[in-house]
Amino acid sequence: MSSVSRILATPQGVVFLTALLFALVLSLLNPAFFTPATLIDLLRNSLVTGIFALGVMMVLASGGIDVSCTAIGAFAMYATMKIILGIDFDMPIIGYFLLSAAIGAGLGLLNGILIGGLGLPTLIVTLGTLSLYRGALLTFLGTTYITAVPRKVITFARSVLVRMENAVGQMVSLPYSFLVLLFVAIGVAVLMNFTMFGRKIYAIGGSEEAAARIGIRIRRVKVLIYVIAGAIAGLAGMTHLTLSRMANPFDLVGMELNVIAAVVLGGARITGGHGTVVGTLLGVFVITMINTTLLMAGVPSYWQKFVIGCLIVVGTGLPILIDRFARHRERISRPIGA
Amino acid sequence: MVRLEAMVANGTRKQSINNKEDDMKFDFKKLALGVALGFTLLGGAAAVAQDAKHEIVTVVKLSGIAWFNRMEAGVAEYAEETGNNATQVGPASADAALQVQMIEDLIARNVNAITVVPNSPEALEPVLAKALEAGIKVVGHEASSLENVTYDVEAFDNAAYGVHLMEALAQDMGGEGEYAVFVGHLTAKTHNEWVDAAIAYQKEKYPKMTLVGGKIESNEQQQTAYQKTKELLRTYPNLKGIQGSAGEDVVGAALAVEEAGLTGKVTIVGTSLVSVAGPYLETGEIKMISFWDPAKAGIAMNKVAAMAIEGKEVTDGMDLGVEGYNSVKLDGKVIYGQAWVDVTKDNMDEYDF
Repeated sequence: MSSVSRILATPQGVVFLTALLFALVLSLLNPAFFTPATLIDLLRNSLVTGIFALGVMMVLASGGIDVSCTAIGAFAMYATMKIILGIDFDMPIIGYFLLSAAIGAGLGLLNGILIGGLGLPTLIVTLGTLSLYRGALLTFLGTTYITAVPRKVITFARSVLVRMENAVGQMVSLPYSFLVLLFVAIGVAVLMNFTMFGRKIYAIGGSEEAAARIGIRIRRVKVLIYVIAGAIAGLAGMTHLTLSRMANPFDLVGMELNVIAAVVLGGARITGGHGTVVGTLLGVFVITMINTTLLMAGVPSYWQKFVIGCLIVVGTGLPILIDRFARHRERISRPIGA
Repeated sequence: MVRLEAMVANGTRKQSINNKEDDMKFDFKKLALGVALGFTLLGGAAAVAQDAKHEIVTVVKLSGIAWFNRMEAGVAEYAEETGNNATQVGPASADAALQVQMIEDLIARNVNAITVVPNSPEALEPVLAKALEAGIKVVGHEASSLENVTYDVEAFDNAAYGVHLMEALAQDMGGEGEYAVFVGHLTAKTHNEWVDAAIAYQKEKYPKMTLVGGKIESNEQQQTAYQKTKELLRTYPNLKGIQGSAGEDVVGAALAVEEAGLTGKVTIVGTSLVSVAGPYLETGEIKMISFWDPAKAGIAMNKVAAMAIEGKEVTDGMDLGVEGYNSVKLDGKVIYGQAWVDVTKDNMDEYDF
């Protein structure tokens, strides 16, 4: 295979090329695009989607799908804020994140029990819990915005890792919450690539039957996957809160399809067994770029959805076609009788 | 539900659409029972010789939230002032079906007038028609499309409100420079009416100002408004003003302006609530927010209802004796006030919602 078709043979490759092409076109339209400031802005804007996506990638790799992640994130973030404001207990900001992750893990456990324990279909269960968690949040916890967030959250939101001026003299900064994405990315990468647990996830995603026969306890692994995905969603929720500096219970839900699109673009397959951290982050980056920078190019809002749709079809379809074509060529070039 | 949707006049609400179907399936047996009950009670009520006091009940979208608590205070104030028996009820969740049930009960009780802030105007039409048939006066609010009402009270005319916001923006921008406008959704009727009127007014009165980026959609999400404002600032570094429509727009824009270190260089005005935009009013990123006071709307609705009971007509240019409704515009059954409230850093402490 030529090098081009080798790149095009993986979804990450297609996505990467599209991203480059896209950036090139944008920079032609607006020379201000190709600057470190733009990169930092994009990173900042992909934080929440990125964290969600890493959790969803784990689920997808195991052959499941999780559309409830955003509802878990919203619930965990709002509940955390309610608890903290309610008990008036002084704890460091990391405690906020841990509490939110714990609540997320609890909600994930319910997903896990329904899916792993009872063996129900993942799409049905998570569609149900998406509505359930959101309904519970709005009914029992409240519908009002919390703008009076603790001082600590504001301080955390204002402290930045990198701060620079862009071409037109405006400040661009990467907030501390970038570390959350980094932490989750490294954690998931280690888990998926260097632990037995990670291998089991891919094995189950590849073939549940085969995984069961080699002695993997599928139920237990599945429950744990959803607990971890829930905890990650909790972290994403809290990150969203620090970025927006307020707790809005109506936020987050609605972006789950964007998250799944990013993960699929990043090479995870809905059918399971595939998915990498790097690919997922690339997918997130491209989706964020499309969502936020088309404005710069003067493209109307509706086009963004159109472009993302095309990308998903091409990005996931092209590698499969190339793979099939390569196999076909291999077959016909094989000597007869071999 | 103090989402700013609650402030959107014409009830173009997501929830409304969902609820519509439920109401179509409304149980006819219950309806018949309600009617029967209503007639029985009618006899009883007539026997107890009522004095001239009117019984007016206000049905709101949702009880227990700050917005409608404020309205309830207005209703209570009206009751105290006039001696009429004015009260407020509302369902525990913003559900049109529950509102239908409440109005059924009120028809059964044979109250003199019902004032209503519908979750879904269309879903309430049949039950309101029944109320009118029973001789009960009906006054709507945030529902100018309602057919089966005696009157509908709107805080303001959408176009006039848009012009008002633009005037505030233009004043602070010095009448020149680039500005951008946000709408919650490109399909949100009210938001578009505000913004269209504002843009038309700018073109006529402030030709030195230029609109950039067209109408920008925030999806009523603060983070979307934030991201798009950042893009705007980068693409149009000379941007001097932003007008928001959904309550989240100005907050997202303010966050972007603050982070970019441009506080004071970009004027932000728009519709929002103190409870949402408060922090940025205080720090100065947001110049002014507008909304209407639900307490005043509650009083105005009750006054109109009392007039209807007494057989008096509302006329164009009339003074309802409520702040913001001093010279109302009558368009068919719809009564428009000029009841917007402007809030800046200086008077934000007066509003707790």
